[in-house]
Amino acid sequence: MSLDIETVVISAIATQKQLDTANIKRESRLQDLGVSSLDAITIVYEVEEAFDVEIPNAELEKLETVGDIVDGIGSLLAGK
Amino acid sequence: MGERIVITGLGSVSALGVGIEPFRSALLAGTAGIRNLEKIDCSGLRVVVGAQVPHFKAVDFLDEALLPYLDRFSQFALIATKEALTDSGLTAGQYENAAAIIGTGCGGKETDGTTYSQLYRDGRSRVHPLTIPKGMPSAAASQVSLQMKIKGPVFSVTSACSSSGHAIAQAALMIRHGLVDVAIAGGTDAPFTCGLLKSWDMLRVLSKDTCRPFSKDRSGMVLGEGAGILVLESERHAKARGAEIYAELAGFGMSSDAGHITDPSVDGAARTIGLCLQDAQLSPADVQYINAHGTATQANDVTETAAINKVFKENAASLAVSSTKSMHGHALGAAGGIELVATVLSVKEGFIPPTVNFTEAGDGCDLDYVPNEVRFGPINAALSNSFAFGGLNAVLAVRAFQ
Repeated sequence: MSLDIETVVISAIATQKQLDTANIKRESRLQDLGVSSLDAITIVYEVEEAFDVEIPNAELEKLETVGDIVDGIGSLLAGK
Repeated sequence: MGERIVITGLGSVSALGVGIEPFRSALLAGTAGIRNLEKIDCSGLRVVVGAQVPHFKAVDFLDEALLPYLDRFSQFALIATKEALTDSGLTAGQYENAAAIIGTGCGGKETDGTTYSQLYRDGRSRVHPLTIPKGMPSAAASQVSLQMKIKGPVFSVTSACSSSGHAIAQAALMIRHGLVDVAIAGGTDAPFTCGLLKSWDMLRVLSKDTCRPFSKDRSGMVLGEGAGILVLESERHAKARGAEIYAELAGFGMSSDAGHITDPSVDGAARTIGLCLQDAQLSPADVQYINAHGTATQANDVTETAAINKVFKENAASLAVSSTKSMHGHALGAAGGIELVATVLSVKEGFIPPTVNFTEAGDGCDLDYVPNEVRFGPINAALSNSFAFGGLNAVLAVRAFQ
């Protein structure tokens, strides 16, 4: 399941930033990928749609790496 | 009076095609862009015809990476602005501090429509996060600024079908008073959404077949879409850089009927035309051509004819009046921009675009409407009329540049 989340998150970032998925790793920092705050809310929207979860605003501000989004979704899904 | 204003660049997107060349060719040939509606997700629609930009694919004209941020009305504005700026020959440095005043009657309605149908029709609880930045009425102006790096006064103007006219007048005021040397001005609209088509239909002003301005058997207006954008410059600035000048934007008139929310007024329209002539220092005898508002509704065509007669009196008989909406439809907030482009081409190149689909003059329609055939001959001065719902009027004057 966790791999699936990672695939979806990386794919959402790749689409938003027009990047090759191969260049986006779990440990990649969002800032280094050029993800602005507007990009971040768009990426999070795509991921929310895919997994039908809601990432709270307070959590959004803490996201620094690709892995943070993956883990955040993972724990939201685990709590469902 | 301040700086004289000249027009040095043109850009157009309409049912007649993307770019000035197809637009100009259609005006000369009298070819209409009114067709059966392209596929639209809308059940029970009574409207069957429209003047849509034919087979439009934004990716053919704009960077794909930008598209998620661009509502259709911003796409049109951007394409027309790029064309107008290229046409003007201005360098990026020369337009960096320009004004960009973009009229729109509707704003990003395609974006809004998508979001509302997801919420209310599909029962979804979450909508796309770009709904606001993409759909806001000023989005087109902002995107013109962002993509072209224009850093002067930039904003949107909205006054329904006079939006372009007011935007261009606003830009002209800025140049006249020395606030800027260069201004990008005009309008854009993309009203082919299910919600807007149904709403327009309920006003019972849309034609079921085609647009026949001033004709006895006219059946209403045909909605259009697109953008008409012009580069305005102070004469001093244009001459200093050796620019090719299309024509002078000689003046403008603006007024409000303070009458009725949909009915037009002879007095309001006549006052606006009069104010424009006065501002441009033109007498009725100086004007050879009027690009009419000419929507082909029962109300507009009789009222506009009466207003022109009221101002031009005995000179009305020798005046040519045509409605190019018969070809590019009624593009609402973009109409005045598209029609000013037509008027400028007319003055520069010495031709009068026809009113196509003309059959027989309607009751109360007694002017020379240039029926069906283009006419050639020198034009010293021409007007472009816009009379909007809500009684908001704007008339622009173009003079041959000498």
